[in-house]
Parts: sequence; structure tokens; C-alpha cells
Amino acid sequence: MLRALLTIIQRDLLVAFRRRAELMNPILFYVIVVTLFPLGVSPDKNFLSQLAPGVVWVAALLAALISMESIFRQDFDDGSIEQLFLSQHPPTLLIFGKVIAHWLITGLPMLVIVPVMALLLYIPNQAIPTLFVTVLLGTPILSLIGAIGVALTAGLRGGGVLLGLLVLPLYIPVLIFASGAVSAAIDGLASSGQLAMLGAGLILALILAPIAISASLKISMS
Amino acid sequence: MRTQEVSVLKAHDLKCVRGSAELFSNLNFSIQSGEALVVEGSNGSGKTSLLRILCGFNQSAEGEITWCDESIDKHENYQQQISYIGHQTGVKLDLTVFENLLFEQRLVGVNRKESEIKEIIRSVGLFKQRNVLTRKLSAGQKRRVALARLQLEERSIWVLDEPLTALDKDFVTEFEKVLKNHLDKKGMLIITTHRDLIIPNHLIKRINLS
Repeated sequence: MLRALLTIIQRDLLVAFRRRAELMNPILFYVIVVTLFPLGVSPDKNFLSQLAPGVVWVAALLAALISMESIFRQDFDDGSIEQLFLSQHPPTLLIFGKVIAHWLITGLPMLVIVPVMALLLYIPNQAIPTLFVTVLLGTPILSLIGAIGVALTAGLRGGGVLLGLLVLPLYIPVLIFASGAVSAAIDGLASSGQLAMLGAGLILALILAPIAISASLKISMS
Repeated sequence: MRTQEVSVLKAHDLKCVRGSAELFSNLNFSIQSGEALVVEGSNGSGKTSLLRILCGFNQSAEGEITWCDESIDKHENYQQQISYIGHQTGVKLDLTVFENLLFEQRLVGVNRKESEIKEIIRSVGLFKQRNVLTRKLSAGQKRRVALARLQLEERSIWVLDEPLTALDKDFVTEFEKVLKNHLDKKGMLIITTHRDLIIPNHLIKRINLS
């Protein structure tokens, strides 16, 4: 089963690598939003560091949203989604592999680049590890929750609009706890409570989301 | 995955509705190992819907399908007996012919050597194109990649929706041999096609949905 999981991750990464232009879209969007924000508002150091947690996380959330459709859209278009359900392996496992691949394509680059973004927004050094941990815990939740929405809307025309309406409310707790943790760290306060909530959210999403995605895909296929 | 036992797939009083239109109702048939079922009918008569119901992707409005006298909804391994090729072939356009089959075999749980995969690619006439991205192949060649999957997976029920579309005459003749070989091994074939199939020495049942 592990071999099947690794295979689907490897396959999706290879396909994404061969579609490099699409691969770069979310991370470019993220960098552009974060770098343009000080130009549009104010380059003042104190002002920026106060707003930084929200900016970093709203940008991450929207970048995740614009990349979500790619997780199942192509599989619906080329018919390979049906093949997942005919596999010897549980569809939930293969779907989980697809979400991992999606996170590696979108979440991991964000994780790598976030310390640089933190410096651009004058986030104090002591808050950068907390920001890093929030991105590490929060972006997989975005991928897992987003995949449920995509699975429900993949069979519909104009599903993108519906996807936003479905998924954004579910993203709000991640936004609140993640930006709250970074804000607390900037103010020199403990952020363990918010991080614990994010961790709990991630565990819950890891357990429940693959089942929900699988059920949603079955509905969309029929 | 193949068994030598005789298995029977039965449809009891199937009814299929799309929107407010009834596509078919009171549909009954039975097919067993070594037999082929050709589903005929005009465009929009519900051929694809029937195949998808048989695969368990769609639900019928009424009726039941049984596999070895057990409802397919309750049968644990029914879907793992099926190789399905629909209008969308399940071929990844951004992978080469070889990569498509390599990943596919790992995902379905088959363990073939690379040389065996290459032999299957040769049998569908794509050996020279084995390292070409599928995106760059013609429609007929893409369909050949999908049909290569059937030999790769070696499952007992083949459900094929218009598999001969875009294929040239010579390959259709070759493919009929593959189908005959599958039935010789006690496989089961459910197919929609607008062409006449020639599979000697095997019972070909027909149902017309028009």
C-alpha cells in the first residue's frame, strides 16, 4: 500500500513538473501579493509588522485556493479518476497521496519562502519560527479541506466560484489561529495555544478529509 | 486476479433516469465467463450510463446488479475485477506511453517487469513512441495506450465504451484477437461499439437500448 501511495505522489509530481507554468502560479501569486502590499499601503516598519501575520496568511490562503482546482480537475478531464476507484488499493489512500502531492507542490514552496516574506514585512526574528510552524501546520489543512471542495465541485461547470463559497468559510479557523499565533509571537506572548489548535485541526483533517474527499468524488462521478 | 471459476453477472430490472428522461427500464440480462455482451443503441440511449452502472460509478434508479449471486454494492472485490475504458481513456497526457503503463500497473497492484510492459507496448504498435509524451500522439494512438492497459491489468471483466473509435482497420483486427484471447481465458467482455465485432467461437450476446 505504501508503494501505491508513493507511486501516486511520484506520478502527480512528475505531471506537475511537466506543467511548470501552472506549477509556479500559486507561489508567484503569494510572492506578488506579499511584496506589493507594502507598496500599496505603507512601508512603515511598525505598521507593516502589525499587519504582517494577516497579510502572510490571507495571501497563503488565496494562493492555496487558486491552486486547488488542479488537484482533481485533470483527473476528471482525462478519466483517470475512475481508475482510482477500480484500484486494488483503497481509494482513500490514493486520494490522500494526491493531496500530499498537492501540498508538496504548493505548501512546501510556501514554507521555504516564508522566512524571506517575513523579513520583507519586518516580522521580528523571534516570531519567524512561529510563522514557520503555522505554515507547516496550516497549509496541509488548506490542501485537505480544499480537496473536499474540489471533489464536490469537479463535475460542475463554473465550479470555481462554488469552490470559493464552500471552502473559504472552512479556511477561516486556520486563518484566525495561524495569524493569531504569529501576532502573539510578535508581541512576545505565548502562541502555544493557537499552535495546539492548528495541530489538532491538522490531525482531524488528516483523519477525516480523505474519507470525505473519497465520498465527494463518488458523488461527483455519478 | 483472474479466476478459472465460472462467474455470472446479472442485471435485474434495471432502470436508468437522466434528469427527467427515462433512458431505459426493465432491463434484464445475464452474462458469464467467456461470453461477450454488446450493448447497442442510438446516441443518448444510455449505453455509457449502463456501463458506468455496471462498474459501480453510477447508481441505477431501480433494479439490481449481481455478481456471483451477490449485489455488486455489497461485493467487496467486484470493482477490482474490472478494467474500464470510457470515452475519457484515463491516459495521462503529460506522461510518456511507458510512464503511463508503469504508474498504472503500480496503482492497480500488478507487478510486471519493465520488459513485460515494453512487450505490451510493442503489441499495441507503439514501441517506437514508448518515450513520447502521450499529448503528442494521435487520437488513435492515445486509445491504443488505453487498450494496452487491459493487457497490463489482466482483470476478468472488461468494460469498454466505444474502444474502437479512431482505430485503424489493421489494429481493430489485432484487437479482436486480444478480445478473443481474453474470452478464451474465461474473461468477460461488455462493450459498446458501432462496428461489427468478429470474435470466433464465443457467444456474443446483444442488447439494444433504443
